[in-house]
Amino acid sequence: MAGIPGPLVWEIVKKNNAFLVKQFGNGNAKVQFSKEPNNLYNVHSYKHSGLANKKSVSIQSGGEGLSVTLATTKTKKQNKPSSLYNRSVMKKEFRKMAKAVTNQVTDNFYRPDLTKAALARLSAVHRSLKVSKSGVKKRNRQALKK
Amino acid sequence: MAAAARPLVSVQTLEGDMATDGNSVPLPDVLKAPIRPDVVRFVHAGLSRNKRQPYAVSKRAGHQTSAESWGTGRAVSRIPRVPGGGTHRAGQGAFGNMCRGGRMFAPTKIWRRWHRRVNTAQRRLAVASALAASAVPSLVLARGHRIEAVPELPLVISDSTESIEKTSSALKILKQIGASADAERAKDSHAIRAGKGKMRNRRYVNRKGPLIVYGTEGSKIVKAFRNIPGVDVANVERLNLLKLAPGGHVGRFIIWTKSAFEKLDSVFGTFDKPSEKKKGWVLPRPKMANADLGRIINSDEVQSVVRPIDKTVKRRSLKKNPLKNLNAMLKLNPYAKTARRMALLAEAQRVKAKKEKLDKKRTQLPKEEAAAIKAAGKAWYKTMISDSDYTKFENFTKWLGVTQ
Repeated sequence: MAGIPGPLVWEIVKKNNAFLVKQFGNGNAKVQFSKEPNNLYNVHSYKHSGLANKKSVSIQSGGEGLSVTLATTKTKKQNKPSSLYNRSVMKKEFRKMAKAVTNQVTDNFYRPDLTKAALARLSAVHRSLKVSKSGVKKRNRQALKK
Repeated sequence: MAAAARPLVSVQTLEGDMATDGNSVPLPDVLKAPIRPDVVRFVHAGLSRNKRQPYAVSKRAGHQTSAESWGTGRAVSRIPRVPGGGTHRAGQGAFGNMCRGGRMFAPTKIWRRWHRRVNTAQRRLAVASALAASAVPSLVLARGHRIEAVPELPLVISDSTESIEKTSSALKILKQIGASADAERAKDSHAIRAGKGKMRNRRYVNRKGPLIVYGTEGSKIVKAFRNIPGVDVANVERLNLLKLAPGGHVGRFIIWTKSAFEKLDSVFGTFDKPSEKKKGWVLPRPKMANADLGRIINSDEVQSVVRPIDKTVKRRSLKKNPLKNLNAMLKLNPYAKTARRMALLAEAQRVKAKKEKLDKKRTQLPKEEAAAIKAAGKAWYKTMISDSDYTKFENFTKWLGVTQ
């Protein structure tokens, strides 16, 4: 089964789908987000959509420690959801992970247009995984009230 | 294209199955029918109305009083008022929709168009659409189904499931084919409805799980699956759009038994062969053989025809004032060059002529004459000096008439 092409899926899915978050703003000023796992910017658009694109990238925390999972979709397994992803869990230092991401996303001509998004997400995910140091909490920048 | 080898869909085998026999089935043509969310939505809107029961407020509600208006002159509004005294109700407004205890505005009546007739061809197109959408993982995911663990879509399971009788084994099957996540999601979603609906006999809400479609009539599978929350069971020959596209949204997660899947071609027909069950029904073909926009744009056929990209950089030139800039003027008016030149020549001519004229008037004296003039001036000066010699007062006293 060849599957239906991405532009058609997008037309069907763009008005309403289970991942769409429409709650921010109205009319011209609205921002629509998407909760798809393979949407790097979490933004509701054709380019970033994980539903409508045959090739999509997902970067998420790997579950333990500072590990990050990088997954790309296989174009030839489009109707086999369980084996759709090429997953790899990365437990390296940040620079090496960034290199791996550019390799997987850009250098092999997978989705060169998503390079920036992928690196941005990698860095965001990595930062979120860092455990803050114990000890005295940093004071916030507001002056203390006396 | 239709005659090409039809893609195969593998049949998922379950534990305890007999030796597997021909483990794949060809994809029925219904699942390649055009997906028309607009038709599905429209047909769903019509069909979902057909289960409604008439309701209305009581015919007499708000009118069970003999209220009359007091008319003008009493400094109260002219709404009908309840007569009498001795009770609080006396003198209160009645009947109007703005009154407490009055009737509602335009009281609902049981004679209303509750049901909708939907054209058979439209229904069939909607069902075919919904089935086709159920074979696309993106659309099933977009409906919210959890199909991450499902091995393949369309999901076909072996016929041994049709003989199971117990819900426990049904659950086991769901787990084996990776559909338990979706059933679990439906089960977890069971909750009390938000809003007034819960006092209108719609107290609970829950998501929809997978839809099991079986092939053999009277199969035990119905009873095995029917008590699992969110899971629906249907026969291939009686597929209902309300089950296939709940809420009018295409992409229900459907689990087919093998026999049901094989029957699809006879129930819906193929692109070449009319349906056996639906009289005069041939599957609609997609309007576009290829809807992949990028592929069309980048095809040789299109690219060979389109103009190449114009990469030249066009710079805007600064607009110059032709009255100040000669070149700009010459662009507008080629004669300006001649005109300017002639003007310059004429000016030079004029200046020259004037100079000549002036020069002529200021004729140079010859040398002797100039010397003569100078000499005359000198002579005159000399006599003047000598005449004014005051050493002798002769002349002066003479002039005064003074005698010494």
